[in-house]
Amino acid sequence: MFDFKVSGKKSRSQGETQQYDLIVVGGGAAGLTCAIYTSRDSIKTLVLEKEATGGLAALTGQIENYPGFPEGINGLDLMEKFHQQAERFGATIQEFEEVTEVEPVSKGLLRVHTTEAVYETKLVLLATGSQPKQLHIPGEEEFAGRGVSYCATCDGPLFSGQDVIIIGAGNSGLQEGLSVLNYAQSVTFVEFLPHSPAEKILQDRVMGHEKSAFYFNQQVLEIKGDTKVTGIVMQDRESGELQELAANGVFIYVGYAPDTKFLQGLVDLNRWGYIESDAKLWTSVEGIMAAGDVRAANPAQVSIAVGDGAKAALAAREYLAAL
Amino acid sequence: MAFLNDETRGQVTEMLSDLPDQVQMLVFTKPTGCQYCDVVTELLTEVAETSEQVSLKVYDMTVDTEKAAEYRIDKAPAIALVGARDYGLRYYGLPSNYEFSTLLHGIQVAGHGAAAQLDAQSKEYLTSLDKEIFCQVFVTTACPHCPGAAALAFDMAVTSDLVNAEVIEAQEFPQLSSQNNVMGVPLSVINHSERVEGHAPASHLVAAMKKSLA
Repeated sequence: MFDFKVSGKKSRSQGETQQYDLIVVGGGAAGLTCAIYTSRDSIKTLVLEKEATGGLAALTGQIENYPGFPEGINGLDLMEKFHQQAERFGATIQEFEEVTEVEPVSKGLLRVHTTEAVYETKLVLLATGSQPKQLHIPGEEEFAGRGVSYCATCDGPLFSGQDVIIIGAGNSGLQEGLSVLNYAQSVTFVEFLPHSPAEKILQDRVMGHEKSAFYFNQQVLEIKGDTKVTGIVMQDRESGELQELAANGVFIYVGYAPDTKFLQGLVDLNRWGYIESDAKLWTSVEGIMAAGDVRAANPAQVSIAVGDGAKAALAAREYLAAL
Repeated sequence: MAFLNDETRGQVTEMLSDLPDQVQMLVFTKPTGCQYCDVVTELLTEVAETSEQVSLKVYDMTVDTEKAAEYRIDKAPAIALVGARDYGLRYYGLPSNYEFSTLLHGIQVAGHGAAAQLDAQSKEYLTSLDKEIFCQVFVTTACPHCPGAAALAFDMAVTSDLVNAEVIEAQEFPQLSSQNNVMGVPLSVINHSERVEGHAPASHLVAAMKKSLA
């Protein structure tokens, strides 16, 4: 059946700086959970999200290991519930508004600059999540939007009846591959490792599918095409043998990278760009916390992001009470 | 059975409660070969019920050919959102899932006669145009990045009478999508030549507009 989601920007008064107790940067599982807790606790909370809320979880076809949903739940539906729950308690959620700078001013005062406005807040939670990693191989950038995609939920339906390659046979690759198998004529998985690192339940489902095929221990060297993707070139990591595979679409799921470029020079990041934080989620800068996938050494799981969001909310309450 | 549940209906009612201008939703259908024409009509009937400022008229484009020509409609289902005047806002397909927000945004900007968010430089360029711009934004309904791109096109269209914004659900119009090589969404195509992939800032669309007119 059909679903109808209401989202978008709220109207705001122009010309005056708006003040909040807490600004959450990022409207994924961690950010929205924190907003549910803090707004319910009468902490004036603003969530700023550069796209629609939901984060990576919203791009996941079916989430089966989030407690409370024995039959599994569509990622989009789950995150819509998070959004509604945060709004129910009074959180303000601004979608399609990107944060460009977080500026610490003094103890208990930070300015958050966005593409649209400047806000003042006592506390900031960074919950910007992560983005699919790129391979940085020839053809990847050239054919982005011309057959190369990082979002099966968005673009999978455009490859109905066609041949698709999914690079990466980990959890994300197989999970999203299952959704592409609903549309495509064939789905070929190409994995760098000699085996699939995905959960066994996913492997069983995808490997047993009549339209799927697998290549392991392969390094993808190039994405080929003319006006659009025509296939890939890969090399067997053991024998060195080169092989071309034909396809109309290439979906890339080779892990994730944190969304922290705008934070460089502000908070401590590890060598991969993830935010360093302590056990209570405080970063190296007073008044700024981090939660969810963007935090160093945090596995990208909705349940973990939810736990982080709740912890951040409790720490926020403690911090604000002491100000 | 109603498409909008009570909660969604309440949100829509609130969003459309302060429109200064009347908005007409003109739906164009055809009797055959249109999977979602009836659904679009039913959905928009429910939307129209939420606000006295919003009304619905349904045309069969195979019968009401003059009306279809007047609004430059050549496929169905099509929705023309007309405020105090026709700002050139069109949605082709069923605006379900995330795209329901695009429809609501279109109604809001048509009802206000002004963009929700647009930077001063983009506004200056758009209001100085002396040639027509067609902006087609291809979307899919489960794409969370798409409403931002669609909303930007609508904002631009309402800012300049020379900008027309068509949001097209790519799966429902496979031939048009194929002609435009749509293999990822959102994709904005300016004047059938320049392509802007993803939910890009207004400055990227303006640059593509300039290039298309050069």
